[in-house]
Amino acid sequence: MTTANDKTGFQLQDALFIGFCATLLVALKSMLRLKLGLSGHSMLLMSFFYLICYGSVGRKGAITACGALAGAVATILGVGKGGPLIFLKFFVPALAMDMALILLGTLLILRWRLVVVALIGCLAWSAKGLLEDLLVGMSQQVALVRFGLKFLQGGLFSVVGALLVLPVLRRLKAHDLLHKETLIK
Amino acid sequence: MWAKRRQPLQSKISSVNDASGLWLAASAMLMVTLLSSAAFLAPQSALLYLALTNVLLLVHGLLCRGNIGGILRYIVLQLGFTLLLYVVIHGGQQLHQGAWAVARLLLALLPGWWLTVVIKPQWIGEVLAKIMPVKWAFVVAASINLLPYMTSELRDIYQLQLLRGARIAPRQLLNPLNWYELAYCVIFPLFVQLLKLAQQTATAARSRHFGSHPQPTHWRDPRSHQ
Amino acid sequence: MRLLELDGVNFNYGSLEPWIFRDLTLCIESGSCHCISGPTGSGKSTLLRLLSGLQSRPFEGGVYRRRGLLCGLVMQDPQVQLLRQTVGAEVAFALENTAVTRDDMIPRVQKALRRVGLFVALDSPIGNLSLGQKYRLMIAAQLVSEPAVLLLDEPWAQLDNSGVDELLAVIRALRAEGMAVVMSEHNPDAFKGVADHFWQLQSGRLLPGQFDCDHHVMLTDFSPEMPTVFTTDPFEFRYQGSNTLFSSPQPLAVQRRELVTLIGDNGSGKSSLLKAIAGIQSNVYPLPMKVFGQRPKAGVFGQQLGLLMQRPNRQLFEATVEEELSFSLRRFGLPIDMASELLEQLGLAALAQRSPHTLSYGQQHLVALASLACYRPSLLLLDDPLAGLDSAHLDKLWMMINSLRKDGCSVIISCHRSLPLAATQEWQLVKGELLVNNMCRENRRVG
Repeated sequence: MTTANDKTGFQLQDALFIGFCATLLVALKSMLRLKLGLSGHSMLLMSFFYLICYGSVGRKGAITACGALAGAVATILGVGKGGPLIFLKFFVPALAMDMALILLGTLLILRWRLVVVALIGCLAWSAKGLLEDLLVGMSQQVALVRFGLKFLQGGLFSVVGALLVLPVLRRLKAHDLLHKETLIK
Repeated sequence: MWAKRRQPLQSKISSVNDASGLWLAASAMLMVTLLSSAAFLAPQSALLYLALTNVLLLVHGLLCRGNIGGILRYIVLQLGFTLLLYVVIHGGQQLHQGAWAVARLLLALLPGWWLTVVIKPQWIGEVLAKIMPVKWAFVVAASINLLPYMTSELRDIYQLQLLRGARIAPRQLLNPLNWYELAYCVIFPLFVQLLKLAQQTATAARSRHFGSHPQPTHWRDPRSHQ
Repeated sequence: MRLLELDGVNFNYGSLEPWIFRDLTLCIESGSCHCISGPTGSGKSTLLRLLSGLQSRPFEGGVYRRRGLLCGLVMQDPQVQLLRQTVGAEVAFALENTAVTRDDMIPRVQKALRRVGLFVALDSPIGNLSLGQKYRLMIAAQLVSEPAVLLLDEPWAQLDNSGVDELLAVIRALRAEGMAVVMSEHNPDAFKGVADHFWQLQSGRLLPGQFDCDHHVMLTDFSPEMPTVFTTDPFEFRYQGSNTLFSSPQPLAVQRRELVTLIGDNGSGKSSLLKAIAGIQSNVYPLPMKVFGQRPKAGVFGQQLGLLMQRPNRQLFEATVEEELSFSLRRFGLPIDMASELLEQLGLAALAQRSPHTLSYGQQHLVALASLACYRPSLLLLDDPLAGLDSAHLDKLWMMINSLRKDGCSVIISCHRSLPLAATQEWQLVKGELLVNNMCRENRRVG
């Protein structure tokens, strides 16, 4: 049998958990689509689900995997505006968050580490928007203002998402439901 | 270690019954990626041709009963917002630049919309499964398969806690202080269920020899042979 | 022929945890059928996993397996085991994973389906099967790999009577072919006709015989009283955009202190009806129901109404059992003492400071129910509350129901088998109709 000593990849059970999180993220995003033009709400779900994955699976790479799966599921289900661009929307923040985790190491206490990582995810998400805006030919000033607004709105949602992660993880740990060595002591 | 072999994804299944369908889906995805990228990268002079191609996709998509409303609303919002910024920052002198930029955004979105309308989800799934390792293809398929189960769990838990007096009715959730209650009463038990579900699904798959062979074969429903 | 043998197996979930198995010995011969009973949380499912070879945690003791022995394990919940969407693909999953060529698959899949008596097209969607058919499909999905031992985890609780009959026929046929069957079961009586070895697993030891815990609590007989808490005119229960699920040709009424049992097969609409009474069933055409004189709507009844859904351990979230019980008391502004009083009454005071998630399934079940009972609702709806409960836990369930009814609560219990209960009414969902029997009231021993 595989899985038990699968050192190079995720155990099947963890991979499935990441997949469930990714799918639920995409489903909730499509259900809760706010039509108010209030961009950034998707960062709430993204930062929450990505960080939960990281906390539960307890491995670097979990967020990237979750982002890639969410992107794939969104492409398959045709969520949002559809097409290959949606893949990047989920994948780019995830990759940035994982890289931030590697750089940060154990620098900050967990709560603030999660918040910083979520903000970096949001930064990557807004930067993707900035790059797009510049590529389509907007003036630098306009693109930067759009970037700033996007980051502010998204950042607010990311922080809320990140703050909700810890109570959930703590409870999972307290109830002995995370059977691995995780971040929560 | 998991073998990096390919296995068709059984998501939303009724698998693609002919190889040509799969090729069609793969070509469509490639074309859409190229067209979307072109919207960002193409020089101004090529934009007219790109626009013409997109008009064809739009007409085809509409003929296939696609709903363009969502994209249009988004673009109108973007246009209004961007032009407002141009007026504030540049005093209304470069409005055409803003309009062109938003037009390019529209050209970037249209191919994706067309793909969603014209190509069935399971075809896209099969194409993605071809380029994914076998384990992750299974994970995506199982996740999509279990999505209805997961959403009904979420709904059940939410309703149970609402009946138990939790402050999570839609009106109460307008107050962000109650979001913590939502996290404790609904999201936490939901993750407990998801962890269990992952464990059980993994056991179910392993009990049927999942991962025991580096080169799994694939089933096709008999009709595909006819 | 000896297929599998456990010899002096010891197992626990960690060096500080209590022993699940102590010196456990079991020998399985081909063509035999073993039925293992025991209290909830005694380790029956763990034992099946150990036999199947899927238990990844280390254990002490000897396990003898015949060379090349394959075991097929069918777990409890079909919803988490069905991994594909068509019947053929589901059965073929194991063949794909063992790299059987596509042309060899079809005859093997067809043979496995024939062995469980499932005669449906290979491309028929799994969603269209009944629960009994799904269960046999799960067996077929194991049989396709030609295992010599089939392991079934608590089949009785999840199947209705017709499903159990179908399963009995399948087990008989498999035994005749020489296959060994091992099942864990709360209700071994249902398998008396097919099983030849009965075991009880208790305190880590496997002893011959059936686990039978005498229970002592009887449901008290209460006469209905005014006022009426629930009324409805005749109605048709229909999901939006689909056909009628069932209809009630007569009006229904439930008075104070009544105990109503709602009986029907899987999928007949019991859960949906209870949810509709609680006001949380969406996508249904409006029903002429009145609960406490008003139209049911989510959350409007507050402490007056309690609903226990299936798998009630889903609702547990607090850090301790006591907090779990007092959650609703705090939200409804009731005295917190009611929680500890109820725990005392049920003899569960020792669990008060434990995390609900570390309890056994039966204990979790009771805690979930107690978290509703402690706020003393006037109408309590219980959806299949007996599933997976052994008689010791049943006693506590009846105690709670007695105490609630004494205080004037009306209770509606759904179940897929008729119960020997002191019910005041029995609602039966048969062939799309809800029929009402007013029961003669007498004190009866239950169980």
